[in-house]
Amino acid sequence: MQKLKREEIQTLIEKSYKCRKNILKMMRNGEGHIGGAFSSLDILTVLYNKILRHNPDQPKWPDRDRFILSAGHKCLALYSVLADQGYFAEEILWKYNTFDTPVAMHPEEKRLPGIEFSTGSLGHGLPVANAIALSARLDKKNYRVFVVLGDGECAEGSVWEAAMAAAHHKTDNLVIIVDKNGLQVNGRTDDIMSSSPLDEKFKAFGWSTRTINGHDFGQIFDTLSGVPFEKGKPSCIVANTVKCKGLPYGEDKYQFHHWHCELEEIDNAINLIGVEMGKELDKVGK
Amino acid sequence: MPASAENQDRIMEDPRKMVSDALVELGAANSRILYISSDSSQGASGGEFNKRFPERHFEFGIAEQNAMGEAAGFALCGKIPFISAYVPFITMRCFEQVRDDVCKPKLNVKFMGNNCGFSVSSLGPTHTVLEDVSVIRSLPNITIISPCDGPEYFQAIFAAAQHEGPVYLRMHRMKTARVHKDDFKFIIGKGEIMLEGSDVTIAACSTMIQKTLDAAQILADKGIMAEVLNISTIKPIDRELILKSSTKTKKVVSVEEHSVVNGLGSAIADVLIRDNPVKMKMLGTEDVFATVGGYSEMLDYYGLSTVKIAASVEDFVLKRT
Repeated sequence: MQKLKREEIQTLIEKSYKCRKNILKMMRNGEGHIGGAFSSLDILTVLYNKILRHNPDQPKWPDRDRFILSAGHKCLALYSVLADQGYFAEEILWKYNTFDTPVAMHPEEKRLPGIEFSTGSLGHGLPVANAIALSARLDKKNYRVFVVLGDGECAEGSVWEAAMAAAHHKTDNLVIIVDKNGLQVNGRTDDIMSSSPLDEKFKAFGWSTRTINGHDFGQIFDTLSGVPFEKGKPSCIVANTVKCKGLPYGEDKYQFHHWHCELEEIDNAINLIGVEMGKELDKVGK
Repeated sequence: MPASAENQDRIMEDPRKMVSDALVELGAANSRILYISSDSSQGASGGEFNKRFPERHFEFGIAEQNAMGEAAGFALCGKIPFISAYVPFITMRCFEQVRDDVCKPKLNVKFMGNNCGFSVSSLGPTHTVLEDVSVIRSLPNITIISPCDGPEYFQAIFAAAQHEGPVYLRMHRMKTARVHKDDFKFIIGKGEIMLEGSDVTIAACSTMIQKTLDAAQILADKGIMAEVLNISTIKPIDRELILKSSTKTKKVVSVEEHSVVNGLGSAIADVLIRDNPVKMKMLGTEDVFATVGGYSEMLDYYGLSTVKIAASVEDFVLKRT
């Protein structure tokens, strides 16, 4: 299997941390779901830069791979990545948290190119995604459907209804990545409603599963490059992540699920993001 | 009129058969038509479709939240999914999927609520839902159709398929007497005058059309000439027809096999209170959960038998109630 070169990983790190900085700039307009955006950002960065077959100039290209952000509140990550990919001008991001904005706190398909389906209420993404994947079969197309779910979201029953359906219908062009940051609005997922062990649960539902470090770009790429893991089965990747990854004082804190930041904090936070990016780049070497 | 006499010399049709026939004909002409079920195809309208087009029938088991989301996903990909399940499960169990995933993006999902009203009243109030119109009517972008006879069921399926956007189709289980002629043409949003009259307007839908036409006969024998309207599209409602008829008769009675809370009667009242506030009476169930019983027993108990409709309208016209 082809591996990412060191330079490619460096580029991905730079893109991912640039997106984190842009998210903080967006939050100059007020609060946001920074925790889940930062925990899922490395996954989205690999997906959009290395895995998805897509064309920002033709967002509705019929043969494109689809991406559904079932955990819609993580959309700051999606907005920043879509802007980086060229789906729309970066200036659109600065309209965050303004009246009738195209970049709202939950993504809406009709407001922005690149959003496949409006999400926000948890547990809605996977049923829709499975049908999109089944439509590829009906239409004799080869596209794949990727979905990001939160681990807290997996308490929703509809996730498991859809998990059962995808396995039953052998939807092997469907891939989910669970952003398992272990935290939700009110605390640790294991304390509120434990969803562990997610990999074994999805396996028991008929999925082929892998568990990875959701901040290891090489591992994310290698795993996503290997889908479907088994012919005739949908694929599930449980990605262990850190909530608010990249902002040291917010990391692994549930209080950063939805951050009400002060304006004067933003510049300092952006500087800290820069320092963290340097550390990540040092890890992969010069 | 005795109940046994009501069905004499009438062509009785099974709504499920009419819908099944329509779906098969549609499916043969248009490969975008899908049928989605939640362990609900055989007893409803999907059995024949499944036999003819198995690759376009998707079974999702007893899991309506997922099934409705799947329907939205198919519609997003250009399909026209007809999704079928018992009324409570397809309107309330998955209400948020209907709202967020179907109505808000205005997707081409046609969801069919089987066994509306007292269709299966012996199963008790979990299955006898008298609030489906109430909850679904509150959603923007939705069209609600409640057909009254075989031709209307058949044509409503075709109209729903042609309509761009979500449609809720109410399916009754009881065989219905044909009240439409061969040249009938169903149009979404258009009501129709089933019987002309001058003393009172009776607006109804579904099973209550036949009951109301029979009640009008009883009233006519007493010198009360009722105008009977079939308001089969509950949303968007035919304002023009309601205003025209109520301007003539100055009295309106709504009749529905449903709660009077936010059902057909409320939809009519919304029109009248704004543009022609005439006297109105609503017949249906009050703010209650249904009891258990056979179909005719239920209609009688809730005042929706032919005789009781006639008596209620007579009292209203003669200002006794």
